[in-house]
Amino acid sequence: MESVISVEGLVKSYGRFTALHGLNLEVERGEVHGFLGPNGAGKSTTIRVLLGLLRADAGHVEVLGGDPWRDVVALHRRLAYVPGEVSLWPGLTGGEAIDLLGNLRGGLDEARRAHLIERFELDPTKRGRQYSKGNKQKVALVAALASDVELLILDEPTSGLDPLMEMVFQEEIGHVKEQGRSVLLSSHILSEAEALADRVSIIRDGLVVETGTLDALRHRTRTTIRATLQRPPAAPAELAPLEDVHLDGAHVRGTVEAERVGEALGTLGRFGIEALTATPPSLEDLFLRHYGDDAAAPASPSGATATPRRRHGRRARD
Amino acid sequence: MGGRLTGVRHLLPVALHQDRKSIAPWIALISVLSASSVLVYDWVFPDPEAQRILQLNVTANPAMALIFGKPVDLTTADGFNAWRAGALGMFFSGLMAIFIVVRNSRAEEDSGRAELVASGVIGREARPAVAVALAAMAALLLGVVSALVTIAFGGGVANSIMLSATFTASALLFAGVGVVAAQVGSDARAANTLAVTVLGALFVARGYIDSSGAPDWAAWLTPFGWLQETRPAVDNIWWPLALVVGLALVLVGVGLALHARRDFGMGLVPPRPGPARAGAVGTLWGLALRLHRSALASWMVGFAVLGILLGFLANTVTDVFAENPGIAQILASGAVAQEDLVAEFLLTMIRLLGIYAAVHGVQVVMRLYAEELEFRADPLLGGATTRAAHLASHAVIAFLSTAVGMVVAGSVMGWVADATGDTIGFADVLGQTVATIPAVWVLVGLALAVVGAKPSKRLAGWMAVVATFAITILGPMFTLDEWVLDISPLWHVPNVQAADPAWGGLVGLALVAAAFTAIGFAGYRRRDIA
Repeated sequence: MESVISVEGLVKSYGRFTALHGLNLEVERGEVHGFLGPNGAGKSTTIRVLLGLLRADAGHVEVLGGDPWRDVVALHRRLAYVPGEVSLWPGLTGGEAIDLLGNLRGGLDEARRAHLIERFELDPTKRGRQYSKGNKQKVALVAALASDVELLILDEPTSGLDPLMEMVFQEEIGHVKEQGRSVLLSSHILSEAEALADRVSIIRDGLVVETGTLDALRHRTRTTIRATLQRPPAAPAELAPLEDVHLDGAHVRGTVEAERVGEALGTLGRFGIEALTATPPSLEDLFLRHYGDDAAAPASPSGATATPRRRHGRRARD
Repeated sequence: MGGRLTGVRHLLPVALHQDRKSIAPWIALISVLSASSVLVYDWVFPDPEAQRILQLNVTANPAMALIFGKPVDLTTADGFNAWRAGALGMFFSGLMAIFIVVRNSRAEEDSGRAELVASGVIGREARPAVAVALAAMAALLLGVVSALVTIAFGGGVANSIMLSATFTASALLFAGVGVVAAQVGSDARAANTLAVTVLGALFVARGYIDSSGAPDWAAWLTPFGWLQETRPAVDNIWWPLALVVGLALVLVGVGLALHARRDFGMGLVPPRPGPARAGAVGTLWGLALRLHRSALASWMVGFAVLGILLGFLANTVTDVFAENPGIAQILASGAVAQEDLVAEFLLTMIRLLGIYAAVHGVQVVMRLYAEELEFRADPLLGGATTRAAHLASHAVIAFLSTAVGMVVAGSVMGWVADATGDTIGFADVLGQTVATIPAVWVLVGLALAVVGAKPSKRLAGWMAVVATFAITILGPMFTLDEWVLDISPLWHVPNVQAADPAWGGLVGLALVAAAFTAIGFAGYRRRDIA
């Protein structure tokens, strides 16, 4: 599979603060790649390196087969970018800003421009200073989605959109995908990434700590099981391989590795199951696993079982 | 504190904490301005003869009165200080107050921070009141610090306090102007422009009145004139201060009343819908032009107005000379020809125009970085455009508009001077103005170099303008060494009326400007975008 973005060992420091410590990232052609992490993890820094706005201190960065620092103009004709913090020119109308950004990319598809303005219910005659955060984002989104490019780099593009507009956004990204274009979608809205992304990379403290398809990531993560038992056990240890066990009278909650779910159900069966729910890990769980606990080593997914109770307790306090 | 001002008590300490680092340099600058003239006076003008020559020189060049005001008594250190630091100190105090008020009222609204504050238990007028209170505190502090520092460096106690009190009064007055402008303008930039235009216009009007030999009552036409009527170090008259403070209070009242009548985040003029499609503004160059459009228009009007004023002034010089017995005596003795004095006056005027143009050019360049700080460079550079093109779209405007401005001012000034008298020719004035352009470009180029290569040091761009002003206008008076004067680019501008103008200076200036510009472009290509 051909990569549209390929980053290896990217390091970027601001003075004494190191934002990225050897980050790796691969985005394949035609995929929507979710780039997940909270603010301050290094998402925007990575994206601004990909755009040639920042210069990498070390590492290898390739975008659409070129060097983003050197081949700025040639590359930027083939990609479109929506910044996380959309700052419009206060005196320019939204329509003027869309045209300006489009012209800088070598023109817009007029029909798509009109279509998107209508779908996003944007008034293009308002001035930049009059737009709300969401409407500023729509301006940037219309400009990016209406341009005929191979790669879209979207930095938290929907953080100001209402749920209706969020749906419109997801549909439009669907069209983009059908056309075979690639998208790097940075987000902390997990449902959005879950709905759109073929693969995700999770970034923490300037390093990508997980990358892969959602299924693969899920498989490496623990399923949560809740049960009501007729004869609850005296000690949580009796419920192994269920871990992280929380006993409250007849109610039990615990987690288990994906491949041992059957085994855990067998154990529970011995105590008489009255009710049972098994929840496969959501992206949220994946996310919390990496961010909910500062101390947990992110390197090995199975290693996380070492101190389950403490992890759980700390997460609750966060 | 009831009702409308609720919350001031909580907001003020926060505003003070946020703003103190921006206020301190202004207080330092103005205090140094005042203390330094006391300090250097005895050293540079040690005996009555030197002091007499100083008084004569200053009176012989009305350009000096244009900037500093009419000299009253230059034979004492305090009197010299009152002249040298008086009008300029008032000007800078006013600027400080305007920036404090707009930064803490209008700019806060633009950034959205004020919205957070306004949702708290906050009276309607509390936010502008905090901005004004902060400016008032800065004004008082400025007065105290400036007086103490000046006294510490040898200034007379009563004289120094009187002079510093005029700074405080001026700051209070322009805090009032600022708070009105903050309500009228549609954003912080517009509010600043409006208030600074008022300040500049009043300052120029005062300068014209002081230097054109206008009748005595004309001094009362501007608030700066009122403050000068305190005659610091000569008579120390206190009551004109009350007039200025009274006017300040009225303006603050008007500002608060206007504030109560307008919507959050909007000016008094409601925004109109604009075009749904971009015309010329849809390109990098069109955008740059649009961003600078309103500033360019105001500056060009400024160039033309200055040209008219200086043109009229040029022909009143001879009257001023005739009225001054000291100068008349020198002229009669044949030691100096009247033409030489006029020529010297013209040169000083045109150097001043050059500094005015440099302020404009540096401002255009600084805007580029302001845009970057507001994250508006990202989407442009995220498009298929080079860094060089982005920088060029602003740099070309900076170079061209300073040149056009100089030509406008020079033409108007030459035309007015030519039409109203027969000592000065149109071509001489215009020629000298055009010859000054490369020196202006050196300062614009320096600003480009720092903004392009090392924007954290961008203050150097402004420092260079201030240094050029100090060296060029004050240097000769303090008989500085030639090598010090040579630091100023304006010093290398040839006198086109001379028998054999030193054209080489122009080549040198052009090369330096080009080198600075090259540094700016090279640096901008290499650095991170903020």
